[in-house]
Amino acid sequence: MRMRFTALAAAALAAATVLSGCGGSSGTDAGSGGDGGSGKPFKVIAFTSGNQTPIGAWWVKQVQADAKANGWDLTMIQGDFDFQKMNPQVESAIGQGADAIFDGYTDVASISSIVTAAKDSDIPIFAVDAGTEANDAFALNVTSNQQGIADQTVQEISKQLGGLQGKNVMVIGHDPHPGIRMRASLAEAELKKAGANIAGGSIQKVKSPATGRTEALALVSDYLTANPGGLDAVWVGWDDAALGAAQGVSESGSKAIVTGCDASSEAIAAIQSGTSPLVATVEQPWPSVNKTVEDAILAYQKDGTKPSETFDAVDTTLVTKDNAASITPSDKLGS
Amino acid sequence: MTATPTRNPGIEDTSAGVLAVPRRSLGQRALSGGTVLALVALVLFFFAMRPDVFLTFTNVRNILYQVSILAIIAVAQTVVMVVGDFDLSVAATSSLSGSVAGALLTAGQSVTVAVLAAVAVGLAIGLVNGLLVAYLNLSAFVATLASMTSIVGAAYLVTQGTTLFNFPAGFTQLGQGRLLNIPMPVYLAVLIALVAWAVLRFTTIGRSWYAIGGNVEVARLSGISVRRSRLLAFTVAGLVAGIGGILLAARLGSSSAVQGSDNLMFSVAAVFLGMTVIRSGAANLGGTVIGVAIIGVMSNGLNILGVNSYVQQVVTGIIIIAAVTLSSLKTRSR
Repeated sequence: MRMRFTALAAAALAAATVLSGCGGSSGTDAGSGGDGGSGKPFKVIAFTSGNQTPIGAWWVKQVQADAKANGWDLTMIQGDFDFQKMNPQVESAIGQGADAIFDGYTDVASISSIVTAAKDSDIPIFAVDAGTEANDAFALNVTSNQQGIADQTVQEISKQLGGLQGKNVMVIGHDPHPGIRMRASLAEAELKKAGANIAGGSIQKVKSPATGRTEALALVSDYLTANPGGLDAVWVGWDDAALGAAQGVSESGSKAIVTGCDASSEAIAAIQSGTSPLVATVEQPWPSVNKTVEDAILAYQKDGTKPSETFDAVDTTLVTKDNAASITPSDKLGS
Repeated sequence: MTATPTRNPGIEDTSAGVLAVPRRSLGQRALSGGTVLALVALVLFFFAMRPDVFLTFTNVRNILYQVSILAIIAVAQTVVMVVGDFDLSVAATSSLSGSVAGALLTAGQSVTVAVLAAVAVGLAIGLVNGLLVAYLNLSAFVATLASMTSIVGAAYLVTQGTTLFNFPAGFTQLGQGRLLNIPMPVYLAVLIALVAWAVLRFTTIGRSWYAIGGNVEVARLSGISVRRSRLLAFTVAGLVAGIGGILLAARLGSSSAVQGSDNLMFSVAAVFLGMTVIRSGAANLGGTVIGVAIIGVMSNGLNILGVNSYVQQVVTGIIIIAAVTLSSLKTRSR
């Protein structure tokens, strides 16, 4: 019995030795250089909850490639929109020590326990699109300018309709997404200010991004059935739902126009076709945003310098039929 | 040996044998008729609120179009629930089938190949679910929860996490085409529901499913091959869910890994609502159709009245609770 126990303990010790020799968790992509001033590779914990979205998947690959080039010791944690799973993994990685944390597309509201753990360990968090307003959780958070998105799309609707006074515009949003919530609210305010009537009296809310297209389709179809000819335009906070709204407009025989946001392949193709009610979307410059944040991490790695501003909202590009051909779709980044 | 039960819980209300059932009290009758009355009340309410719109041809067609794919998924769920089981993977199966069709179409395959492959995917998933439940004796809840997880992952792999689109017109016509100004999915939903109803009502396998759902041991002692019948029920559910997924992809002109994910909750709700329609409280096709109609009428009516979608969700949940409570009261009173 004692022999067997000893053998078991020896095997466990050997396994532990082998595992510790592997140098980290299964999510670790060991870099080949960089020293952060101490001879050890600069250790970065990157995480995203949105890895199952096209942009999130692109970001994971891009950061992994850049980490290799920068010589970072990268631990990439992919959350699948499951914060109960992701947050403890990130906190556990923080407990093992790191030089910097890199948040991709995960809103600050969902990671308060990570922010606390990072502050306790004095590790700065650098972020891409992790909140629509400045806050002290991040050393830097760069996102797209929501006011700019609202301005560009509302102005395009105004241009195509020859003004907004008295026009009926439906606004479709999705509250759980901070960016969509903010730009929908800004667009609603702008439309009202310009004299447009908000169809249904307020922002129409889609409950789930997974069913955004069918929900938007039903919202528009039902509204147009109840109010034939009752829409001049539909402003939608993201392309997938905008495509559903456009289908609802087409099937109802309405002449209303639709705008979206994201510059997805499908939206760009619809705009280029010239036959879809979808007339415009917005490109958010994620590659340059990501590069800005990575440059900030590199500066911090070099001499501990943190950015002077903790928040930046960068300009976006309105995509219409005129420039659609020159835009890289958001779901084709890196391909 | 194949046995035909003489007292079939799912169809006794409409059979001649109903005469043998003790007379029901007014309260029991109200319970049985409650769901149908709820549908009538909803229609009358929305008609009263918007008489110029609600019962117009355009809006009725609109409702039928919106619920047609849910109706197909609910048929799949009904078949499994008749056997006394549960399939959490129907919506995921439909998404994967739609994604497979979309991936093959964007890869240049013909519509026929894409549709057949997508149907085969649904069939295969149903078969696996059936094997897990009927032959490996896993709980249907656990087995289909696990398979749902894998199926969603597979759908992400097939679509690469993106939305597939740009399908040929021959495919999108399945979901967007019209015959006599009625969208094709409506005809297909009616056809599938009728076939399923006939199978459940008139065939040996349909009666076997009801017998198993009523009492597995009695069904087994009656000579019914319980395992084979449950396997077949899950396989049929997978097949039908796959067809629903193909139609959803055709209807939207796109497919993604999570498309139509709300069909799981609504299909279960429709079957539960339908279970309150007949005296036995068993899953049944006619009841499911009424359940789907309630969901469709409610969603459309509330949209027309401009009710906030969050409130709509609250109301839907309350109606499901009410239906399950009715069903439970009925089961206790039997």
